[in-house]
Amino acid sequence: MRIKLTSIFVEDQARALAFYTDVLGFVKRQDIPVGQYRWLSVVSPEGPQDLELSLEPNANPAARTYQEALFKQGIPLTAFEVDDLDGEYRRLRGRGVVFTREPTDTGPVRIAILADTCGNLVQLYQKRR
Amino acid sequence: MLDRDGLEALCRARARLRAAGDERVRIRRLAAESGLSPHHFIRRFKAVFGDTPHQVAVRARLERAKELLLDSEESVTGISLRLGFASLGTFSARFAREVGMSPSRFRRLAVRSRPEAMSCLGLMTGEPLRPESNFEEAPARAIRGH
Repeated sequence: MRIKLTSIFVEDQARALAFYTDVLGFVKRQDIPVGQYRWLSVVSPEGPQDLELSLEPNANPAARTYQEALFKQGIPLTAFEVDDLDGEYRRLRGRGVVFTREPTDTGPVRIAILADTCGNLVQLYQKRR
Repeated sequence: MLDRDGLEALCRARARLRAAGDERVRIRRLAAESGLSPHHFIRRFKAVFGDTPHQVAVRARLERAKELLLDSEESVTGISLRLGFASLGTFSARFAREVGMSPSRFRRLAVRSRPEAMSCLGLMTGEPLRPESNFEEAPARAIRGH
């Protein structure tokens, strides 16, 4: 048993793909039309190449309720590791990304939280040396 | 930086825009409640949610229109008036742009393939998510953007 896939609900798959690739910098891995949706996933160019993040439509009302409640509480739905948190923070701010938490030291990691334009908050973290 | 109060204010604004239905929510008032000028409110709203307040309001009305088309016998004209669209033409054009077909065609086709709860991981298998649905006849992109 392996963990090869994780997923996040998104409000609009086309917009999500644009944000997760053009803005965050991931690379599209799978894009298979299924009915009115897509099986859509991205990977990080920094690896691992076989760990996919699926961008799943939040068309199920239960998914939207879950997403909106966590968003409103300021709770990120997932987290991505970065090497240079402050650099990424500046880069993403420059792309118009809104942060709900500026880079902050919290114990073993330095974190920041951003809005992904698809209904989620996402945490970036850098391990402290 | 969007602080906790700012985040909650934006969430409230989005909820009100969606709930408004046939009533117009004034951007100016929502902006004031968020402590922002209308210009900054709209810009920030879009940066956070990906849509402008106006787009959210229109999408919410179109969602309501879909429900009425499916669940009621009301005429397309009646629905467009009830939801506060300026004219039947405006409503039909907006609806077609968002949904990919006219309201009456949606009503005709969608009866047989109603959007229901779906399993997202089911997309992985490439199988239709709702076995009872016939995607050949399903309204293409019918619930695009939910």
